Amino acid sequence: MVDDSAREAVGDYKYGFHDPENATIRFDKGLSEKVVRDISELKGEPEWMTEIRVKAYQRFMEMPMPTWGNCDMLNQIDFDAVTYFLRSSKGTEKNWDEVPQDIKNTFDRLGIPEAEQKWLGGVTAQYESEAVYHSIREDLEEQGVIFLDMDSGLKEHPEIVKQYFGSVVPASDNKFSALNTAVWSGGSFIYVPKGIHVEMPVQAYFRINAKNMGQFERTLIIADEGSSIHYVEGCTAPTYSTESLHSAVVELIAMDGAKIRYSTVQNWSANVYNLVTKRGVAHSNATIEWVDGNIGSKLTMKYPAVILKGEGAHAEVISVAYAGKGQHQDAGAKVHHLAPNTTSNILSKSISKNGGRSSYRGMLQVTPKAHGCRSKVVCDALMLDSDSQSDTYPTMEVGNSSADLEHEASVSKVSNDQLFYLMSRGHSEEEAMGLIVNGFFEPFTRELPMEYAVELNRLLELEMEGAIG
Amino acid sequence: MIQYHEIAIPPRSEHLWRYTPWHRIHPTKVEEIPTANPIKFSLGDDFKLNSSDEIARNFIHTVSPTSKCLKLQDEKLELDLRCSGHICAGELKIESRGFSSLIIRMSGEAGWTGLRIQGEVEGSLSIALINDLSVDSHLLKCEDWIVSRDSELEFAEMSSGGFMIKSDIRVNLAGKGADVRGGIASNGHGGRHDDNHVEICHDVGYTTSSLVIHSACNDSSHSVGTGLLTIEENANGSDAGQVFRNLLLSEKSRAESIPELEVLADDVKAAHGAASAPIDAAQIHYLQSRGLSKMEASSLIVEGFLMDAFKDIKNEDVISAIRTRLLVHLECLIKG
Repeated sequence: MVDDSAREAVGDYKYGFHDPENATIRFDKGLSEKVVRDISELKGEPEWMTEIRVKAYQRFMEMPMPTWGNCDMLNQIDFDAVTYFLRSSKGTEKNWDEVPQDIKNTFDRLGIPEAEQKWLGGVTAQYESEAVYHSIREDLEEQGVIFLDMDSGLKEHPEIVKQYFGSVVPASDNKFSALNTAVWSGGSFIYVPKGIHVEMPVQAYFRINAKNMGQFERTLIIADEGSSIHYVEGCTAPTYSTESLHSAVVELIAMDGAKIRYSTVQNWSANVYNLVTKRGVAHSNATIEWVDGNIGSKLTMKYPAVILKGEGAHAEVISVAYAGKGQHQDAGAKVHHLAPNTTSNILSKSISKNGGRSSYRGMLQVTPKAHGCRSKVVCDALMLDSDSQSDTYPTMEVGNSSADLEHEASVSKVSNDQLFYLMSRGHSEEEAMGLIVNGFFEPFTRELPMEYAVELNRLLELEMEGAIG
Repeated sequence: MIQYHEIAIPPRSEHLWRYTPWHRIHPTKVEEIPTANPIKFSLGDDFKLNSSDEIARNFIHTVSPTSKCLKLQDEKLELDLRCSGHICAGELKIESRGFSSLIIRMSGEAGWTGLRIQGEVEGSLSIALINDLSVDSHLLKCEDWIVSRDSELEFAEMSSGGFMIKSDIRVNLAGKGADVRGGIASNGHGGRHDDNHVEICHDVGYTTSSLVIHSACNDSSHSVGTGLLTIEENANGSDAGQVFRNLLLSEKSRAESIPELEVLADDVKAAHGAASAPIDAAQIHYLQSRGLSKMEASSLIVEGFLMDAFKDIKNEDVISAIRTRLLVHLECLIKG
C-alpha cells in the first residue's frame, strides 16, 4: 500500500501501510479562527474551552517560528497544507467489535487488542483526530480511576479539566503548544484517586492514516496523593511522500507522594514532523518519570520536562533516539528544581546512521530557594558512519550554592574491539553491530514493559539491516 | 566591508548572547559608535587588522584607535595593556613561530574596554592573559586563533578583575596534528558578572583539544561558561574534551554552564562534562583543624580549585604568573 516514490524517500518502514480514507467529517486544509471555532462547536464544548482555543489560535498566529533547532526543516512546514480535523468513526467505542472494520484491521495489524487482553489496564486507540476505541478494566473503574479520551473527559469531568488544562503547558509556552491548544482533539484524560496504585500500565495508541494530516492530541494525567500510574503510548503513521504534522501536548500532575511514569515509543514514519511539548509538575515527594524512545519521524523536537515544585520530589528521564537517513531527532530533557531537596537523573542515548542527525538539548535549572538539590545527566552518542551527525546542547543554570550537579557526555563510534570479539564468537558483522546497538539502548529497554522492549529491539534490528558495508 | 550599523543585533536565543546580551556589554546605546581611548600596549608595531561580520569584533574594530602586531620567534615576552578613560579599545595581532611564550596583563581603570586579539600559531605558543582591571570596569574581549599543522597553542586566562566581562574565544585547528589546550579560571566576588564563551573547531582530522573552565562564585556574582566544540566532517581521528566546573560559595551566587558538542565525523573521541557543587564542608573542617581560619581555609580551597583549571598547561612561566596573581588577589579578598 506504500507508493514506491515514498518508500524510496523514507526507506523501509514496517508500519508504512495505509488504509483508504473513510472520513465521516473532514475539514478543508488550512487554519483559521473559523476552523478552530468549528472544531469546538462540532465537539459541543463549553464556551470557556472555545475561548481558550481562540486565544491560543491568536497566540499561534503572533508567535514566530523557533529560531533554534533545525530551522531549515521547521520552515518547510506548510501550515496551510495540513488537515486540522478528520473524524473517521461516529464515536468512541467500548467494544472492539463495534469499531469500523477498516480501522479495526489497522489496529489488529499493530497488535493492540492482543496487548490489551494480555497485560494492559486500559487502552485508548486514536485514529486521526479522535479516539475510536476506549476501554478500562472494571476493577480500576470501580476504584474511581478515570481513564477517558480527552474529549469525553471534558464532557464528563469539565471541572477537573478546567482546573488543570493548560496549567502545566500554557498556550503561550511555544508556537506548537499554542497550535495544539487551538486545535486539540483526542488524547487521554486520566485521574487516579488518592492512594490508588494502578498496577498494570494503561496504553494509548496514536495512528495517523490520512495524507497531510495533523494530529494534535492533548493528554492530561493527574495522580492524586499517594497514587501511582504507568502510561504507555505508541505512535505510527503510513509512509507518504508528503508530510504530516504531529503536535501533541502532554501535562502531568503528580500530587504529594504520587508517581507517574510516562513511556513513549515513537515510531512515526519518516515523513512526520513530531513537535511535542511534554511537561509534568511534581509536588512534595512525588516522582515523575519520562521513558522516551524516538525511532521514527522526519524531525522530532521533544524535550520532556519536569518541574520539581514540592520538597523531596524526584524526576527521572530516560530517552533514546535513533536518527536514520533524512531524520533529525532533536530530543532531550528539562528539569527545573524549584524546591529544596529535589533530585533528578537524566540519561540520554542516541544513534546516528546513514546521514541522520541526533541532538540532545537539555536544561537543568536550580532556583535560589532550592537547597540541597542533586542531579546527574549522562548523554552518550554512537555514530555509525561518517555521514551522520551528533550534537549535544546541555544547559545548566545553578542559582543555589548547595546544589550538586553533574553532566557528562561522550560521542564515539562502535569499537572495533567489540565487533571483533563478537565476530570471533561466530556472529556476522551485521549481527554483532545489532547486538552492540541493543546493548547500548539496554538501560532504556529494561524500563519498558516486556512487549514494548521486545518490539523495540525488533524495530532496531530492522533499522540496523544493511548498516554494514 | 560590512559596517557596524548593518549587522543585526543578535537574539538571546543564540547561547553566546543568552546571559550577556549585546545591549548589556555595549558601552553606551547599541546604535551608538562612541569615541574610544587607545589601549596602551607596552610592545608591538602598528598594524591594520581586517574587520569582521561578527558584531562584537566589528564593533571593537570600528571604535579602536590603535592596532598592534607582535611577532614572536622562540621568545618569552611580557606585554602590559594599560586601559584608561571612559571607553578604551585596541586590537592586537600575534604571529608566533618556534617555541614562544607570552604573558599579557590587563590593568587600568577604564569604564569599558574592548580588546580584539587575532593570532596565528606555527610551532608552539603558551599564552597567559591576566585580567586585572579595576573593580568597576566592563570588558569585551574577542580572540581568534588559527593553529597550523603540528603546532600547539596553550592558553591560560585568569579572570579576577572588572565588574562585567564578556569573553569570546574561537580556535580553529587548521592543520593535521594541531593541538590546543585551554584553561580559564574565574573568581567571582561582589556583583561580578563573568561570561566566558569558547569555540573550538576541528577543521581537519588528527587534531586534539582540551578545555577546562573553573569558576568560583562568591557573594552575588554570576559566572557563565558556554562552549561549542565542533568536529567537522572528515575530521576523523580528532580527540576533543571540555570540562566546566563551578564552585558555589554563597547563597546568592549563580553559575551557568552550556558545553555544546557538534560532531560530524564518526571516528573521533569527543566528550564533555559539567558540574556544580558547594564547597566541601569536610575539607574546610580539615583545614580549620590545622589552625586556619574559615576564610583562609576557603581561600586555599578556591586557590586549588582555580589552579586545577590549568593542569593541562605545561609552560611553567605561564603557570607561575597566574598563580602569583591569584594569590595576591585572594589575599586581598581575605584582608578586605
